[in-house]
Amino acid sequence: MLDCRSVSAGYLGTEVLHEVSFRVGEPAIYVVLGPNGAGKTTLFRTLSGILRPTHGEVRIQGTAVDGDGTRGSLHYLSHLDGIPDGLNVREALEFYARVEGAGAADVERILDRLELRALADRYFSELSSGQRRRVAIGRIFLREREIYLLDEPTSNLDPKAAREIRALILELSREKVVLYSSHNLFEAREIGRYVLLLRDGRLALFDRIENLRSARYVVGIRLLEPASGFSDAARQGEYYLMELSGPEEVPRLLHDLDARRVKVREVREMDNPLEDLFA
Amino acid sequence: MSTPGVATEPLSLLGITVRRASVSGRFFLVYGTGMSIFLGVVLAITPGGAFSTSFPVLLPIFAAVGSMGGLVVFSNDRIKGVLECLMAYGISPRRLFTNALAASLVLASVVLVGSIGVGVGVDLAAGHPLTRNLALFLTVYSIPMSYVSAAFAATIGMYWTALSSPRAGMNSPIGLAPFFGILPPVTTLVLFAALGIAGDVSDGFFLAVAAAVAGGVAVIVGLLLGLIGRLLRRERLLSPA
Repeated sequence: MLDCRSVSAGYLGTEVLHEVSFRVGEPAIYVVLGPNGAGKTTLFRTLSGILRPTHGEVRIQGTAVDGDGTRGSLHYLSHLDGIPDGLNVREALEFYARVEGAGAADVERILDRLELRALADRYFSELSSGQRRRVAIGRIFLREREIYLLDEPTSNLDPKAAREIRALILELSREKVVLYSSHNLFEAREIGRYVLLLRDGRLALFDRIENLRSARYVVGIRLLEPASGFSDAARQGEYYLMELSGPEEVPRLLHDLDARRVKVREVREMDNPLEDLFA
Repeated sequence: MSTPGVATEPLSLLGITVRRASVSGRFFLVYGTGMSIFLGVVLAITPGGAFSTSFPVLLPIFAAVGSMGGLVVFSNDRIKGVLECLMAYGISPRRLFTNALAASLVLASVVLVGSIGVGVGVDLAAGHPLTRNLALFLTVYSIPMSYVSAAFAATIGMYWTALSSPRAGMNSPIGLAPFFGILPPVTTLVLFAALGIAGDVSDGFFLAVAAAVAGGVAVIVGLLLGLIGRLLRRERLLSPA
């Protein structure tokens, strides 16, 4: 569906992306990770047709992305809100509805879906940063597209709003391809199925997140009530830490704990394999 | 303003841009319109026919100042990532540029309609007839020069915005663009004064000087519009990453 073929791109003669190639087609969330300056925003701008590759090409559903963008195929949510000033929330959505060929009914639907109706007549400049982000995200739900490029969609959101937006995006990813950049590795692991790692403008990794393994596999065991045999175990907060050889050992561990009549409230992986990508 | 729950058909992209330009550039619009109306009224009630000789000459200066809203929108949209989003939807840099330019010209029209309407109305009410000379100056000089000046200020301001790092205050393109806007009419007056000292100072001579200045500025604006694709590369319109 989205085919990035040996793409190099940058700004005014300075190359930021170098020969990046990947292909995505399966509906899922593809988390794009990388340190600051790695080229995530440049990648999104190139995939969306805003920047033209200096080498290689981007194809969407077999068609080369032309210089005039890819209207009809994808949505691009910038790291900035991209909402025009001088408009209230309803007018801002109407602005993009006009650009996208959506109707007034779509605007009303978004006001309800994103819980923006109470803010509809307030000027964008009067909103909090979290509210602004919700309006910006509302824009990408005005019309359905096959591919969504979301550059840090949950930045500046409070935990509740971020959770709601993640839920919306997860729902979206059941049928659509979503490329999602984030600096929040726990969020990335929670919702991502694939990871693309950019490093110095090059694609350093493209794999399923479940295939990634931490250097150490440590689980934390949270007990329902105190139990013997844990006094010498290392702790992190309420979790007793145990290092295993891999996730395949977890069932055996649970079986052993059950045999010892240890009442377990929760077992969780303590290390995020995505963190190792930045080591 | 829309009523909650009532679906209305969205304005066109240009319509929204004009609306935003009038809001974002309201200080310039109110100043340009207000000052030109004030000037027109003062000149109209002043004995001696000052209105018909001075008002048409000064009007383009206020029209240029009042039209800054288009540039304000363009500049703000670049900083806030709106231009970037619009390009992702397939809107070309040229259309973004011309859209803001058109909004500036609409705002110049607001100044012209308001000030000519009120100024001429008060002048007539003060007992001065609408002379052929006044009508000629308004239609042949004031209106074309106003649009040329507004287009010049907007074009130079947008190029400057795109080619420079974002900055605020009087040192920004928005802060300095009005000075570019008043350049064509002021140049006309200076040239007329300088050349007039040596010889012919007829109305026809003034209009010839004005036509030369307006034509020259129009050529510059046309050239810059034609070179958008070459000079304003897409990355020039992106917000800072």
